[in-house]
Order: sequence, then C-alpha cells, then structure tokens
Amino acid sequence: MTSQTPPVLPAVEQADAIIQMRGIVKTFKNAAGEFTVLKGIDLTLQRGEFVSIVGKSGSGKSTLLNMLTGIDHPTSGQVVVDNVDIYAMTESERSLWRGRNLGIVFQFFQLLPMLSLLENVMLPMDYVNMYAFDERPQRAMELLELVGLEKQAHKLPLAVSTGQQQSAAIARALSTNAPILVADEPTGNLDSRAAGHIIDLFDELAQRGKTIVMVTHDPSMTRRTSRTIIISDGELVDETIAKALPLLSHRLMRELSRKVEHRTVPPNQTIIQRKQPVDKFFMIASGQVEVVLEGRKADDTIIARLGPGEFFGEIELTRGGKSIASVRVTPEGPVELLALSRDDFNWLMNVSPLTSEAMTRIIQSRLEENRTSDRRKRRRWFR
Amino acid sequence: MRPRWRKVLSDLVDNIARTILVVSSIAVGVLAVGVIAGAYVIISNDMSAGYAASHPANIEIRMDDFDDDFLNAIQNFEGIANAEGRRVFGMRVRSVGGTQWTMLNIVAVQDFEEIEINQLTAIGETGALGKNEVIVDRDVLDKVDAQVGDVLEFQLSDGTIKRLQLVGTVRDPATNMDDFLAPPAAYITMSTLPALHQPENYNRVYAIVDSGQDDDTHIRAVATALKDKIEKSGHAVHSTWRSKTHEHPLAATVNAILGILMALGVLIVFLSSSLIANTLSALLNQHLRHIGVMKLVGARDRQIFGMYLALILSFSALALLIAVPLGGQGAYALARYTADEMSFSLQGYRIVPIALVIQIAIGLLVPLVAGFVPIINGSRVTVLKAISGNLVQGTGDQAEGGAKRESRLERLQLRFTQMLNRRGIQIPRPLLISLRNTFRRRGRLALTLFTLTMGGAIFISVFNVRVTLHDYINAIGNYFLADVTLDFDRPYRLNEVKQYAAQVPGVVTVEGWAFANAEILYPDGSTADNMSILAPPAESELVSPILVAGRWLHPDDKKKLAVSDAILDLFPDLRVGDNLTLRINRQDEAWQVVGIFKFVGSQRLLAYAPYEYISLDQNLANRAYSYYIVTERHDRPYQEMMAEKVDAFFRDNGFHLREAKPGLSTLDAAVESLDILVAFLLIMALLTATVGSMGLAGTMSMNVLERTREIGIMRAIGAVDREVMRMVIAEGMLIGLISWVLGALLSIPFTYLLATIVSLAVFSTPIEVIFTPTGFIIWMVLVVILSVLASALPARNAARLTIREVLAYE
Repeated sequence: MTSQTPPVLPAVEQADAIIQMRGIVKTFKNAAGEFTVLKGIDLTLQRGEFVSIVGKSGSGKSTLLNMLTGIDHPTSGQVVVDNVDIYAMTESERSLWRGRNLGIVFQFFQLLPMLSLLENVMLPMDYVNMYAFDERPQRAMELLELVGLEKQAHKLPLAVSTGQQQSAAIARALSTNAPILVADEPTGNLDSRAAGHIIDLFDELAQRGKTIVMVTHDPSMTRRTSRTIIISDGELVDETIAKALPLLSHRLMRELSRKVEHRTVPPNQTIIQRKQPVDKFFMIASGQVEVVLEGRKADDTIIARLGPGEFFGEIELTRGGKSIASVRVTPEGPVELLALSRDDFNWLMNVSPLTSEAMTRIIQSRLEENRTSDRRKRRRWFR
Repeated sequence: MRPRWRKVLSDLVDNIARTILVVSSIAVGVLAVGVIAGAYVIISNDMSAGYAASHPANIEIRMDDFDDDFLNAIQNFEGIANAEGRRVFGMRVRSVGGTQWTMLNIVAVQDFEEIEINQLTAIGETGALGKNEVIVDRDVLDKVDAQVGDVLEFQLSDGTIKRLQLVGTVRDPATNMDDFLAPPAAYITMSTLPALHQPENYNRVYAIVDSGQDDDTHIRAVATALKDKIEKSGHAVHSTWRSKTHEHPLAATVNAILGILMALGVLIVFLSSSLIANTLSALLNQHLRHIGVMKLVGARDRQIFGMYLALILSFSALALLIAVPLGGQGAYALARYTADEMSFSLQGYRIVPIALVIQIAIGLLVPLVAGFVPIINGSRVTVLKAISGNLVQGTGDQAEGGAKRESRLERLQLRFTQMLNRRGIQIPRPLLISLRNTFRRRGRLALTLFTLTMGGAIFISVFNVRVTLHDYINAIGNYFLADVTLDFDRPYRLNEVKQYAAQVPGVVTVEGWAFANAEILYPDGSTADNMSILAPPAESELVSPILVAGRWLHPDDKKKLAVSDAILDLFPDLRVGDNLTLRINRQDEAWQVVGIFKFVGSQRLLAYAPYEYISLDQNLANRAYSYYIVTERHDRPYQEMMAEKVDAFFRDNGFHLREAKPGLSTLDAAVESLDILVAFLLIMALLTATVGSMGLAGTMSMNVLERTREIGIMRAIGAVDREVMRMVIAEGMLIGLISWVLGALLSIPFTYLLATIVSLAVFSTPIEVIFTPTGFIIWMVLVVILSVLASALPARNAARLTIREVLAYE
C-alpha cells in the first residue's frame, strides 16, 4: 500500500526527519461561520524524538494530532510521514497505512470491549496482516509482558484497572512495530502512579528508537520529553522562546514570536562588547556563546557558556548602562539567535510580571557570578 | 407549537431511516391483517351472495333420458318452485389444427338466454347461442388454445369430427362447485345435439325448492320424494346432489383457509411488534441525553412519557396512512383473485368497516404495547444516568475505580476461545469481534432471532406442507394407478379389448372395471347420500388402497364392499363387519363393509366391490364399459402418448370409444387447486421472512450506530473498509444462520400444525406429514442472502464513518 503512494519529498532535504507538516491550515465550518483551528503550521519531527505537544484546551493540539495521524483532512497543506504524503491516499488506504506506521494511544484507552487484552493486541496484526498467523499470539504476549500485563492477558478490558487498560492500549500500539507512537493525553485519565508508569514506558520506548508524539497538558510529563511543542490559538510557539521564557503565557509567547528578529552569527564573532551600550535582548536557538571578561593581554576569562534556550543582554536592558562583559560565539560553530528590541523587552517585562520577577532573580544571580569572577581576575592580575 | 412538541416533530424527521423502519414495521402488520380481514369479509359475503345470485339448484338429479313433458311434471311436483332440464355428456374437443384433445362436459340447454337455474355469467362479448355454436367455460380457452370466433372440433363416438363455432365464454358459479375432479364445460343448445349424434333429450334435472332453500333437511325430503316419483315413473336415477341457496359449497373450506391466513397475519403483527420494541428501545437509548437535559430543566416523568407516547402515535398514524388504503386495495385484490379462481362475482370494491377497525386498533395498540416498556424505562431514567452516558453496557469506557467482573457468557466465550487456542485453532480477531458482537445485546438479539426464526419456520413448514399435500394427492393416485383409462360408449368383452390392446406396443396389462351408483339409506329408509361403487377385478394391482380398517376385496365377496372413510361422517359408529343399506337399481340391499380406506374429502363417497360380483349383478359378465391399461412406463408424457395411440387404434378398429385419457391427468385439477393454496401460504411465509429481515436490518443498523466509536478505533488501528464491512456482514450472517437452525427445529411442530389444519380444511381428514429438504435448503440460501442484504447497508454506513466523527478528542 505504501509503495503506491509516491514519496513527495526528496530524502536529502531532511535526512532524519520522520514527520514533516507544511503549511497546515484547518478550517471548520459551522452555522456560525468559518473557524480556523490551525493557521499554517510548519513542523518537523526527527526520528527517535520524544516530543510533547502542549497547549490549552481549544488551542488546536488534538486537531494537529489528527492531521498527523491522518484521522482528519487538512484544509490545505501537506503532511509527509516517512516520505509518504498521507493525504494522497483514500481513507481506507490510510487506515492500512496507519496500522503499519503509527501506533495510537487514546486518552480513553479505546480497547475493544469484546476482546481480551491479548486479542486486542493481536487485532492490528490481523488487520494489517503482519507476522505469521501462528506467531501473533506469542508476539502479543511478549508485548503484554513488556507492559507488565501477562497475567491479565485473557481478561476483558472491563475486568482490569484503568492503568492496566492504558498499558494494554500501548501494547496494542506497539503490536505492528510501527516506528511512530502517537498518544493523546495518555495519562489524562490515570492516577499519578499509573501515569508515572506509562511515562516510564514511553521513555524506554524512546530510548529504543521509537518516535513518540504525545499530547499533554501536564507539565510534569513535558519535563520528561526531549522536546516540547507549544500550540496556541492554532499557531506553534517558537520553541526557543518557550524554553527561554517558560513563565510567559502561551499567548504572549505567540506574540513574542512575531516581535523577535532571527540572526545567525558566525563562530568567534563578538555579539556584545564589554563597556559598550546594549540595545537588544538575545535568546539562543542553537549553538553556544561564551560570556567573557577580556584581559589586557590574551588571557580572557570565560565566566559562562550559554546554550539553546538561554538568553543574554537582559542585565544591561534592565539596569541601563554599558555591558559588563563581552558575549561571543564559540569557535565550534555559528549560533542562531532571536533578538528582541529594548522597547519590546520593556513591554514584555510590563505585561508579564512573573517573567519580570524571574528575570530580576536571574540578573541578580548573574551579577553575583560576574562580581565573583571579576574579583578572582583582579586578584590574579595583582599577584 | 410548544418546544416539546417541536422536539417530537424533529425526532420524527431527524432520522428518516429509523422513522421508515418503525413505520414500515407497523405498516407490515397492519397491512397483512387488513388484507386478510378485508378479503375474509368480502369473500365470505360475496361468495355466498354471488352463489345465491346465480340461482343455484337445490337439487340436481342425474338420471336417464327424459323429455319436456317429463320436465313439466317435475316442475309441477309439490315443493318444487322451478326446474330445468339439461343434457350433459362428455366429449373430446380441440381447436382446428390442434393435436391435443381435451375432455369437456358438454351441456345442452333449451334456450341459453332463458336459463333461470345455475345461471351463467357471460364474459366479454357473448352473444346469443345459436344452432351449431358453442360457448365455453373461460378455463377451456387456455386448455384448447382457442379464441372466441375460432372453430372447435368435437370428436364423436364413431371417431368422426364435428366442427362448431365458438361464440363466447362464460363462468359457471354454481355447477360442480365441490367436485375437484369435474372437467370444464361447453354449452350448446338442444338443437345442436343431433349434430353431435346425441338424442334431443335431457339427462339432468336442476330444481329449486319453493321454500326452505337453506334447510338441508327440507331439501333432502323434497329430493327423496322427487326421486321416488321419477323412479316410479320408470326412469333410473343415477345420483342426486343437494345444495343450499345461500351457502357456497366451498364456503367452509375457503373460510378455513382464510382462517389459517388470518392466523399468519396475526403472527406477522406479533413479529412486527418485536421489531417495533427493538427500534423504540434503541431510539430511547439514543435519546437518553435529551431526556437527561429535559429533566434537568424541569421535565417530569409524565411529560417525557407523554412526548414519547406522542412520537409513537405519530409513527402509528403514518403507518396507518400507508397501510389502511393499501390494505383495502390488497383485500379486494385477494378477494378478486379468489372470486376469479372460484367463479363467483364480487359486489364491487368497498371499504370493510370491521377490517378498518381492526387495522386502526392494531396500528395504534401494537406499537403502544411494544413501546410501553422502553418508554417507561426511558422516562424514569435519572438525570445523572442520562447525562453521564447511555445505558449500553460494555462500550469500552471504564468507570472510575477500576475493574468489574466479566459476565458468565463473556467468561464462557473467553474460555472457549482459549480452549480452541490450546488445540491450535485460532479464530482471527476480526471474526472473533463479529462472533462476540452477536451476543452483546442479548435482548435485541432475542427479538431479532424470534422474528427471523418464526419467518423461517413458517417458510420451511409451507414447503413441507406442500409436499405433504402433494404426497397425499399422489396417495390418492393409488386409486388411479392406470396409465391410460378407456371409456367406451357401450360394453365390450374383456377378452376382445385385451386382445386388441395387446397389439398396441407399450401396453402391458389391461383390466376391465365395472361401476355402480348406489344410495346409502338411513335405517328409516331415507337417503343419506350417493355413493359410487368402483368394481375392479378383486386381484387388481391398479388400486393400492390406504386401509384404515378391515381388509381389501376378495374375488368371492358377495354384497361386500370397502368404503372410503368419509362414510364415518354419515355413520360415525360404523365398524368393519357392519352392514350398510344400499339402494342399487331401485333395490334395497344390505351390504357388508369389509374395509374402510382413506380417500380425498368428504364430498365424494366412494366404495370398491369386486368386478366379479358387480358385473354379474349388472348383467355385464365378462364385459365392461371401462378399461384400465398399464403401460411400460408411467410418466406423464408417455401416458399422454400412449393415450393418443390407444385412442387411435381402438377407433380405427371400429370401437365406440368415448375417451382415452392419461392416468395422471385425473389429479390435475386437484394439484392445481392445492398449488393455489400453497401459493397463498408461501406469500404469507415471504411476508414473515420480510418482517424478519427488516428486523435484522434494523438490529444491524442499531448495532452499527451504537458501535460507531469501536468502528473508529478499528479504523485507527488499521482496519480497511472491507474489514469493517465484513465484520458487520459476518454478524448479520451469524444471526441469520442461528435463526436458520432454530427455524429448522421449530418448523417441525409448525409443519404438523399447518398440515393438520390445512388437510382438515381441504380433505376433512388429517394426513400423514412428509418432510422435504427443499424448504430447509431454500430458506438457508434465502436467509443468508437476506442477512447479507440486511447488513450491507449498515455495513456500508459503518465503513463510511470517518474516524474523526467517532473519536471525539476534545
């Protein structure tokens, strides 16, 4: 089936990208008029990533997931999974494709009530005709062992606990050895102990190389994932902003995404010069920068290295005056930055008191660190 | 309109398919009952009225030839209001150029326009009947393949052919109504008789009594007196028949059959009510949330009950709107068909008030009764229960708190599957889903199985009854085992006929039979009934009687006979060895009954006595009018061919042959009339099967509707369209096959019941039941096809569901 659908993206473009969404727009129509839920989403997920998608209720995260799983049609745009344009297929073909390529875990488990757990796990193998018929029970049993349900294998879903049902649902999602596991609020209906167990399981699967995409609203879950994608009002929030300023509301993050300027700076280039005025706030998207106290000769002191999700320039913008240290790109590679103007930074501090407070704390700690380094450096000079 | 009534209105129109299902479930029952009740009333009124309108003879006397003077004497006889004479004789007829001869009763009347007794009904343009012209029963047209205006050929006893012009067709609503085996008639005037080498004399009297026309005792008294007078005047009376004016001779039979159909109609109502109950309880289930919301905003149980009552009454009203006019038309069509077959006239289309009342009562009451429990349950549901979900168990959602126990059936299913697995038998999971889904809604399954099973059981039974009836007719054929029957106009010597017949290739043996007509007398000397005595050689192999008591004939039996079991209607206490007083050739004699055998119906009293005695008694020793020939083969085409050959041979050799007819043709008329009955039964069986498959279709739609989410899950984990359809159809087929097994079992008592009722109605005697695989096989094929059809649409709908529709995330 998959062979009939042409690979639409050249494999060279993103060698390790497993899911690519391009310009996904989804508009629902009802009596009240049209309502756009997804406003042109571009998203690339890498093979082996453990990604959480977060967003408030109504932000469009489940619609986004439906686009990714082929459960719903986008109004425009393209979803390419493993080089296959999934919307070039018929609904029925897509079902088969889904059975082979995606394991789906639902919030309400959605085990078929008339089948035992073991039979539920075998069902996708029957549907997509994977593995020899006689091998299926054994393989299903192994999967149930993996999730710790071997003793419940012959029970109906209603006869086991909710946590066990979700574990069985995960075993079912794994039954065709699909490379991608998609989970929609998989812990939403579980107590914390059962939820912890499920996330442990996801963790282990991610380490074994599965790509896991999980919709959740539980921050304790997002902390366990390798990447968090925030969706707000049908748009993706810039991940750098989300990482750098996590206390911002999703709405502000989205607004901020529009205000920042993207910059790429080559290796060893200085971004901020000590004792020079600073008029921008920088957030690092990729690469690393060094915070340096320059010596008279070539004996600079590197007081900090900052990486993705970290920021600099806030001390000068907050306190006024000139830069207390230089910031330059590490020799290892270029750095991608998001730059925010002074006015926008001030606006941000005004509209988000939480961020402002957090910023103040960070500034104080950085200044403290700076002073310590400066003292150490002076002592060395005078020695 | 108040909002709640607007909701009722929108419930009617928002799911058109469901409304159609409920309305047609009600309509089918109402229609079936309407058609049968209406037809019952129309037929029982018009059959007798039509019969009476033809001025049927109360007394028919078959006697030797008489003239107008003698007829005048009969007309003036005390107690007789009117009498007519006719000449009736058998003759073979064909169309010009035709090869096939047809035996007809030729009826000669004085003046065709002036017939006052047993009046005929002209069909189409039937003008005056003149000399050398003929008018025929409309059945004759098909048999001889002729049209009005054609010329028909009549074969005279010397073999020559006389041609008469066919000038019209008629229907005879009165004559020979109760004689299954009577040939159709052709009518000529007395003036045509010489042309057919017949004397211009009458041989039958048709008389109407002047009072007590519906009093059998009075008619019998007049008939006996009249017969005495005729015999005293020197004439021989062969037989007498009696009939009441206002009671069709077959009224009892027809009413009995309509009674059976009525019972089936009531059964259909019953079956459709389970369909209605099923659909309404599904509807209520789907509406739980609505009910919850209505209760939340203040609705009371009574108001909810009222709303759904109104909904049901609306369904009823729609069903009545369809079924009542259709039922009226159907009733009249059925009545017209019956009238046509039985040659009586209807008094025109009309609405039968009692049928209308029954229809309205059924249309209103049945849905109310069927829907009462679902509505009561629905209206009493608590807000919490209604809002929190539906009452369906096992949707896969797990209530907060964890595990429940599997039901006993579920554990049984799981264990059974495990047991199979241990033996290396694995059922594919998609099939397992179909199997287990079948038993999830057990109440609904039971109702669906009930309707389908009943439909199947009736269907299979009808086939068994058909074979049983045919077998019985064939058994009756045991009394007519000859392959070719020869009737001569005069007696011929046994040896002579045997020698000639032996010259015809294919003839194996020949027997000469004698006949006698007798009257059975009550101890007081009055006539109880007429009886034909057939006299084959005692050792004849051409009669294979079904003896109920006693023995068959011996060659040396004198004044001993075996008599058909219909005699028991007249003499219930008669035992083998008892004597009967018979009047034969005006002599009263005591005859001993040596055996009693089974024969069709009570209308014809039949007895067998040995040829050896009867021929002597009739001074016809070693001679006979009738000869029975056995040929090499016994199939119908061979018999027909041999009849033609023997006919030609004997005529060529100068014998005065009246007719040579193939043996099995005797049973044609009987088989034909039984087939009509079977066709009626089959229509009813198909109607029940239709109700059954409607029930299945409804059940499958409801199941699919309730399992949309599960279907979504299946699609989400890889099920393609085909798989989803296959799952639904497999479940439908499984239900169909289970119903087949149950129906096959139930058909056994049904067959006994139906066969007994029908045979009592038609033959006045219970008959031995025969089972045939045909019904079982046809129903198996049909139920599989019906199940596939019934689940195909729900299956297609299921496959069309997109996952987003069924898996709501937010």
